[in-house]
Amino acid sequence: MSASRALGALAPGFDRWKQRVLRHAAADGRGLVLRHSRIYILPTRRGLALIATIATMLVTSLNYGLALGFLVTFMLTGLVGAALLHTFRNLAGLDVRPASAGETFAGGRVGFALALSGGSRTRASITLTTRDGTTDVVDIDADTLSTLAFELAAPVRGRVPLGRVTIASDYPLGLWRGWAYAHFPLAGMAFPAPESGAPPLPTGRAGADSRAPGRDDEADLSGLRGYQPGDPLQRIAWKAVARGRGWYTKAFESAGGAGAVTLDFAALPDSLTVEEKLSRLVAWVLACERAGRPFALALPGVRIAEGQGREHRRAVLQALALHGPPR
Amino acid sequence: MIALRRSGRRKVARKPAESLGPLQIRWLGAMLVAAQLPQALDVPVWVAAFGIALVALRLWLLSRDRVRPGASPARIPSWALVVFAIGAALLIRASYGYLAGRDPSVAFLFILVGIKFLEARSMRDGTLLVCLGAFLGITPFLFRQSPLSALAVLPALVMVCGTLASLAARTPQSLSIAAPRAAVALTGRLLVQGLPLAAMLFLLFPRLATPLWGLPHASRATTGLSDTMSPGMIAELTQEDAVALRADFDGPPPPPAQRYWRGPVLTRFDGATWSSNYLRIDGAALRGEGATISYTVTLEPNERPWLFALELPATLPRIAEQLSPGDLTITRDQQLLLRRPVGQVMRYVATSSLRDRHPVSERDFAENLRLPRIANPRTLSLARELRERHPDDRALIAAVLAKFRNEDYTYTLAPGVVHRADPVDGFLFDTRRGFCEHYASAFAVLLRAAGIPARIVTGYQGGEMNPRGQYLIVRQSDAHAWVEAVVDGHWQRFDPTGAVSPLRIESGISRALPDAYELPLFSRLTGGWLKDAQWVVDAMNHAWRRHLIGFDRSRQQAVFEALHLDPAQPWQAAGIVMTGAAVWMLGLLGWLAWRRTKRERGSAVWTHLCSRLARAGLPREPHEGPLAYSRRAARRWPRFAIAFNAIGESYAKLRYGAIGGSERDALVATLERAFDVLPPAGRLRGETTG
Repeated sequence: MSASRALGALAPGFDRWKQRVLRHAAADGRGLVLRHSRIYILPTRRGLALIATIATMLVTSLNYGLALGFLVTFMLTGLVGAALLHTFRNLAGLDVRPASAGETFAGGRVGFALALSGGSRTRASITLTTRDGTTDVVDIDADTLSTLAFELAAPVRGRVPLGRVTIASDYPLGLWRGWAYAHFPLAGMAFPAPESGAPPLPTGRAGADSRAPGRDDEADLSGLRGYQPGDPLQRIAWKAVARGRGWYTKAFESAGGAGAVTLDFAALPDSLTVEEKLSRLVAWVLACERAGRPFALALPGVRIAEGQGREHRRAVLQALALHGPPR
Repeated sequence: MIALRRSGRRKVARKPAESLGPLQIRWLGAMLVAAQLPQALDVPVWVAAFGIALVALRLWLLSRDRVRPGASPARIPSWALVVFAIGAALLIRASYGYLAGRDPSVAFLFILVGIKFLEARSMRDGTLLVCLGAFLGITPFLFRQSPLSALAVLPALVMVCGTLASLAARTPQSLSIAAPRAAVALTGRLLVQGLPLAAMLFLLFPRLATPLWGLPHASRATTGLSDTMSPGMIAELTQEDAVALRADFDGPPPPPAQRYWRGPVLTRFDGATWSSNYLRIDGAALRGEGATISYTVTLEPNERPWLFALELPATLPRIAEQLSPGDLTITRDQQLLLRRPVGQVMRYVATSSLRDRHPVSERDFAENLRLPRIANPRTLSLARELRERHPDDRALIAAVLAKFRNEDYTYTLAPGVVHRADPVDGFLFDTRRGFCEHYASAFAVLLRAAGIPARIVTGYQGGEMNPRGQYLIVRQSDAHAWVEAVVDGHWQRFDPTGAVSPLRIESGISRALPDAYELPLFSRLTGGWLKDAQWVVDAMNHAWRRHLIGFDRSRQQAVFEALHLDPAQPWQAAGIVMTGAAVWMLGLLGWLAWRRTKRERGSAVWTHLCSRLARAGLPREPHEGPLAYSRRAARRWPRFAIAFNAIGESYAKLRYGAIGGSERDALVATLERAFDVLPPAGRLRGETTG
């Protein structure tokens, strides 16, 4: 009884300890400064080889009673020890922050960026290793905020967490490898991959409330109106901007039948799997966008009112990406 | 204090190279040559030439490949190198006669690094070569441990560090420390920073009492003495300047006439050659009767198993180095013998009784009377004649010494070769010219022929006190031979050379010879600045041997005692080393951080200034640099214009200028002094109106 209680009391302690050592959870918030409690140092293979050599030199000096042999051996030991401190210093005080995370369609690659700065010292040979094992080696100049960009594969839709990043360095002599783990709650987004060769957009009004009257976003150009934030970029009258007349958005006459579209998950044929349905909806989102038609989304549990523009598109795609667990 | 440059100056690196590039190969080559050179004279000439040539060949191939970038790089197949290595091993074996020893191993390593370097391609090869090069850094000390050899190893150490830096270089910044000058600076920094750790380990790392494996055999004799003596066979004695031993006396040194350093005792005589009898190692040190003297000898390596003691050893000397009991013995004729040759500088503490007589044992008589019947007939008849005239032993000995003193015998180092068959006859009756060996030999033969047991003792006589350091220097040119004869039941020392040339004994060899005689420079010099310079150099040499080379087990025990450590409990020393290493680490980090804060102090002052001025009603605009802002402040508070401008300019320079360390310190000082002039925010606010 008491043993299990003690174990129960220990478990959170053990988890805390595990988190401290391995940083499994993405708990590093907005950024961190590498301190001694985070930095681990072990000899590299080259370092081990040199340490073994020093041991051999020591045994030789011992056996032959070579005072100068001891001197050189211990000087080399001191040098290796000082190199350890320099490796540590190269990492200590390094400021690492999450900068940005990108978006992609499943099967693509999500771009991430971290911002690193080393204060008044140049940090040489800083190696960043992401969870998929790719590495990048950079110098971080003194008094400079360096952004380090890299990509991670996103094979399935949904959140793409940055995961644990290893920041390491073996500067200056390659005898010691110092490293620290950073685990930011930074995540990119992988939208479902659009279905290739998707059927044309569903025609007519799928929902009674889908049409907001008076909106001028139909197929034929009818004139220009003042730009409003959220207007699709491809509708901006760039010529007018170039001539210095200010910002305008092209307005279109309504053309028969091609109005707003409601993309309804439930309306799709049952023969399709969930993922196939999502892929088709994504393809239709892109089609709507190309055609400049507003669209609404109806997913089980999620409804997004009809709209247009980057933010709208993103909200819709994100809702699709996060719909239920991926396959 | 981060300048936000959106793009940053991010330096994208090349991919971590897995194969050696030209930079690394050049570093490796330079390092190997630097490691080979200090011992190039200790290996056979062909080994030295071959080993260095292999390294040079690779470097040449590299430069050729660089000249013709299109051509495929020259490659030597691995199997050829294995054949190479085996061939080298066989040649070395043929040259030394054996392979598994110290000297052939060093020679093999010398060539092996060249062979390995020739085929080195991967980073791993580079690592191996660095390790081999580092190991070559201590092998020269197997042959000698002079200050010069220590200096000669330093370049190799620097190169090892530079090579490591080049092997680890992957970005522009890490490549920059692989540039030669930067690498030297880096090594210097690391070595200096590691010095406290090195010193602590040097002092406290326990030394062995006995070696782990066998020590090398003798290879070269480097002494003015040998265990045989053939007076008359040598036309001219070459004089060697080299130091044989140095001695530090606990009290005042003995007078010159008592500075007889006892070495090999020669008892066998075949008519021409005296030789020693090592078989009689059943002696015991004489208990100290009468005056004893204590001293420490620093013996230069002589590749012979002899230790030297002044006059008669009163105890077995204490040697700190790797000795197992029984390694050091004393023969019945009071000679100190080591089981192995002295191949390294050796220090021992000895006690001697300053007497020229000691008891004789019954067994000594027969052996020390033996003479070949037919050799040197004239000498034998002279002895018989003397015996008839002087029945008393003492009177006979006095008569022989008087003969040397009064007749026309000459002390010279170039006596010429005497009659081959009967060299004693030839010297006594024909040439009458000779040095210590001739007189000692003739004297001993005469005594033996007259029925008085006598034997030759060789060793050193004399030595100079170094006024810079108060220790005695005994050189190879002080090598000497004298005679012991049994008188009144005791061995009594007689020095027939002293009868011919008293100056030789009292003032050393340089005074005993005419000025025209060619002696080595340093034995000849009697005064002046050159001699003084020589004293200083020798004192430094002696200090080197005493404190560095001579830092052995016994000296370490003294350190342990001073620290109240028990040598039998090595973990105490280990604990001290660990603690010391931790203190060193924290201290070094602290020091480095302190140096850095100094650099950052400028920024701190600027931050303070900005917040103070903001409180005083003049906040810095986001776009404003230090110069613009300080000028605006100067216009607002003209009374402090000078201080504002000083702060602005210093900070701008500190922040954006390329400046050196001393200039930076000066700027920080200016900045802080100017800031101290400014009143607090509240008063500044008041200043606006006034």
